[in-house]
Amino acid sequence: MILDWKKRMRKVLFKTSDKKLPLEQTDEKALTAQDNLSNSLQENISALKSIYSKCPDVIFRTFLIGNSQKAVLIYIEGLSNIEEMDKNVLSALINLESENWLDYSVLENLPVSNIKQVNKIQDVINQISTGNPVVLIDQHSQGVTLGLAKWEKRSIEEPSAESVVRGPRDGFTETLSVNISLLRRKLKSPDLKMFSMNIGRYSQTQVVVMYIDGLVDQTLLEEINNRLSRIDVDGILESGYIEEFIEDYPFSPFPQVLNTERPDVSSANLLEGRVVILVDGTPFTIIAPITFYSLFQAAEDYYQRFLMGTLVRWLRYAFLLIALLLPSTYVAILTFHQEMVPTTLLISVAKSREEIPFPALIEALIMEVTFEALREAGLRLPKQIGSAVSIVGALVIGQAAVSAGLVSAPMVMVVAITGIASFSIPRYNAAIAIRMLRFPIMFMAGTIGLLGIMLSLLTIIIHLSTIRSFGVPYLGPMAPMKGNEMKDVLIRAPWWSLKKRPRLTGSGNTNRQSYGQKPGPAQEDEQEMNKT
Amino acid sequence: MIEKGKISGSQMAIMMNPAIFATVLLLVPAITAKHAKQDMWLSPIWSSLMGFLAVFLAYKLNKIYPRNTLIEYCELILGKVLGKILGALYLFFYFHITGIIVREYGEFVSGTFLPHTPMLFIFGTMILVCSFAVYGGLEVIGRCSEMIVPVVLFLYLVIFIMLLKDLDIRNMFPLMANGLAPSIKGSIVPQSWFSEYILIAFFLPYLTNREKGLKWGLISVASVMFFIVLTNFTSLLLFGNLTSTLTYPVMIATQYISIAEFLEHLEAIVMAIWVAGTFIKITVFYYALTLGTAQWLKLSDFRPLVFPIGFLLISFGAWSAPSLQELSHFLSTSAPFYLLSLQIIVPFILLIIALIRNKFLRKKETATG
Repeated sequence: MILDWKKRMRKVLFKTSDKKLPLEQTDEKALTAQDNLSNSLQENISALKSIYSKCPDVIFRTFLIGNSQKAVLIYIEGLSNIEEMDKNVLSALINLESENWLDYSVLENLPVSNIKQVNKIQDVINQISTGNPVVLIDQHSQGVTLGLAKWEKRSIEEPSAESVVRGPRDGFTETLSVNISLLRRKLKSPDLKMFSMNIGRYSQTQVVVMYIDGLVDQTLLEEINNRLSRIDVDGILESGYIEEFIEDYPFSPFPQVLNTERPDVSSANLLEGRVVILVDGTPFTIIAPITFYSLFQAAEDYYQRFLMGTLVRWLRYAFLLIALLLPSTYVAILTFHQEMVPTTLLISVAKSREEIPFPALIEALIMEVTFEALREAGLRLPKQIGSAVSIVGALVIGQAAVSAGLVSAPMVMVVAITGIASFSIPRYNAAIAIRMLRFPIMFMAGTIGLLGIMLSLLTIIIHLSTIRSFGVPYLGPMAPMKGNEMKDVLIRAPWWSLKKRPRLTGSGNTNRQSYGQKPGPAQEDEQEMNKT
Repeated sequence: MIEKGKISGSQMAIMMNPAIFATVLLLVPAITAKHAKQDMWLSPIWSSLMGFLAVFLAYKLNKIYPRNTLIEYCELILGKVLGKILGALYLFFYFHITGIIVREYGEFVSGTFLPHTPMLFIFGTMILVCSFAVYGGLEVIGRCSEMIVPVVLFLYLVIFIMLLKDLDIRNMFPLMANGLAPSIKGSIVPQSWFSEYILIAFFLPYLTNREKGLKWGLISVASVMFFIVLTNFTSLLLFGNLTSTLTYPVMIATQYISIAEFLEHLEAIVMAIWVAGTFIKITVFYYALTLGTAQWLKLSDFRPLVFPIGFLLISFGAWSAPSLQELSHFLSTSAPFYLLSLQIIVPFILLIIALIRNKFLRKKETATG
C-alpha cells in the first residue's frame, strides 16, 4: 500500500516538475528548443526570445542585408568581440549592393575565419551561450555561427600553488582554449589527441580529455569516458567536482587523481601515458591515473640535476613520516616509553613539563588543533589581516602558552616541526590527507604507545594497498614491485637512464629514448691523451 | 575460484618470510640453545631442510592440482567423506596454530611492554588490523608485505650491525665439540616452524607465474634460514651459554645497543618493527584459514567469514595455553611432532596417493582411449 502510494506521489511530483521546466513550457504552435529552425525569421526570433526571456544581456540585432533581406544577429553582451562583429559582419552584410535574391552562401563568405552552420534551435542556444554570435536570415531554415567569442580573461601567470626556482613559469588560466593551446605548445606532435563533452545541466561546462595516442592505454580512455559521461549534476564549477565523481574510493583520505596548474607537469604526465582532464573555468587540470609516490614528486625534481632531485625526494619521504608520526611518537614516548629518552634530555623535558596540568596527549591535541586553526585562518583571511593572525598566532603558540604554563616548550617545537614538514609535501591535497590521519594516530599513541602507532601505520598501509586509481595499484611500482620503475620512486635517476615509460599506464611503445645517451668526456680527446 | 586476485612468485616469497621468521626470533633461540649449545647457529641449516621439503611437497601437489588449494585437493585425493574429515582436521589445526601465534604475540607484548593492558585487548587490536588485510584479499596481503617486509628486514639487519661491537667470537668455540648430534637435536624445534612452509599450498594456485613457484619458495626458505642463522649467531656470540636461560634473547640483545650514548634502549622501536612482521605472519595464516574454511564449506566468497573467524581467533589465542611457560613447554616438546605430522607427513601421504591415483587414471585412460 505504502509503496503504491509512494509511486503515485512520485508520478504526480514528476509530472508537475516536468511542467515547470522553462524550456518546455510553450504553446503548440511555437518552436521549442528541440526543433529545427523554421523558414520564417519571425518565428525563429520569437522562439529564441521566449527562451531568452528576462535575459537582457542577449542582444537581438535585426537588420536588412543589402536593403532587402531580413536578418538577425544574436549574441550575448560581453561574450563576443563587438568590434570584429561590426567591422566584418554587420557592415559587410548591410553594405551588400546586390539587389538580387540573396543566396545563403553570402553568410558563408563572411570574412570571419571560424564559421559553422546551425540547423537546430538547441545548437543556436549552445553557440550563443558560449559566446559565438549567430546570424539567421529570412526564408532559410539554417543560420551560421561566427567564431567571435571573446571575453575578459586573466593573462597567463606563474602558478601560485606550485612555484619553482628553475622551470617554466607559465600556468593554466580559467580559459579552456588557452589551456589547450599551452599544452599544444609543449607537445607539438599530432598524436596529442583530445575529446570533449559538456557536463552540467545548467553550467554546460566544457570538459576536455587529452591524451597521447599510442602511449595511452585504450581501456583507460574508455573507463574515463564512461565515468565522465555518467556525471549528471547542475553545474561543474571546478575540476574538484569532477574529481569527486570519477575517483575509485570516495571515502579514502588519499587523493586518487592529481591536480596541477602547471602545463609542464601535465605534459610530463601525458608523455608517461596518463590522461589529462581540463575543465573550463578553472586553472586546475586533473591527471589520472596516479600512484601514491607521484604525490611526492615535484616538477623541479626533474629540472634540477638528478642528485639534487634524489636528495630532495628522500627529504620529502622523511618529512612525510615526520608530518604523520612526530607528535604521536612524542606522546607515546612521554607516556609509555620514557626509558628511550637519554637521561639529560629526559630531565630537561620533565622540567619543562613540571607545571603543565595536562597529559601529553591532551597537550599535543590542544597545540595541533590551534595550529590547524591558525593555518586555516591565515589561508582564508584577506592578506592584510592574515599577517595580523600570524603575529597573534606566534605570540599565542610560541610565547604566551609556554609562559602561562599551559603547554611545554618541547611540544611547541614538535608541533612547529610537524607543521613545516607537512608544508614540504608538494601536493596540497596529499598534505591534507596526512594532516587528517595525524589525529587518530595521536589517540592510538596516547592509549597503547608505540604499538598503537605501528598498528595505525599498518592500517594505513593496508588501505593504500587496497585502493587503485583507475585500475592502477596505488602503491605501485613499489608494491607490486616493478624494479625498472623504481628509478623514479626511490631515487630520481638521471634522465639518460630513464629509458622506459611506466608500464602501468602506457602499454606498447615502451622506450622513451634511445639507448647509450650517457654523457661523458669526449672519446677523441681520451684517445689523444692516451697516445701522448 | 573464490580468490580472484593474483600475486607474483616474489610476492609470495616476501610474504612467507615473516610468516615463518616473525615468531622464530622470540622463543626459538633459547630453545635451540638448550640442546645445541655453542653449535646453535648450525641448527637452522639442518632444520631448513624441512622447509625445502615442505615447499617441494606443496609444489608437487600443486602440479597435479594446479587450481586447487590444500583443503580442496584433500577431497579430490581422498574422496568426499575422508577428504572432508581431513579438511576439517586441517582447519582446526590452523585455528590452533594461528591461536598459538596470536598468543605468542600477546604474551610478548604484554610481558615486555604493556603489562597492565588486558591481553584480549592486545589480541583484539591486532586481529582487527589483520582482518582488514584479509578482507582485502590476497593481492592486498602481497602488496602490504612488499611494503613492510623489506623495511622490517633492513632494520633487523641494522640492529645486528649496531650490536657488532659487543659480539665475542670466542663463544662459538669449540666447534662441534660433541659431533653433529647436539646441533641436529637443536634443529627439531625450528623444523616445526619451517614445516609451516606447506602454507604455500594455499597461494600457489594464485600465482601469476606458477612454474616459478618452486624457485621462489626455495628462495624464501633460504632467506628465512639466513636470518635465523644470523639471529642465533648473534645470541650466541653475545650471551654464550647464557642464551638458553633467557626467554627472549633477541629482545635482551637489543638492550645492549648503545651508540654515542644517545641511541639507547631501543626495545620499544624493535618491538614496533617486530609487530609489523608479526602482522604479516598472522595475516598470512588468518587468510589461509579463512580461504580454506570458505572452500571447505563451498562458499562463493570468503569475505563474510573474515570477522567471525577473527573473533574465534581471539578466543583460540586465549585458550591455546594457560601461561607463557606452558606455551614454551608445548612448543619445545610436543609441538614438533604435532606440526610435522600434519604439515609434512600427511601432505607426503597425500602426494603419494595422488601420484598413484594419477598413474592409475592415466593407465585407465590409455586403456580405454
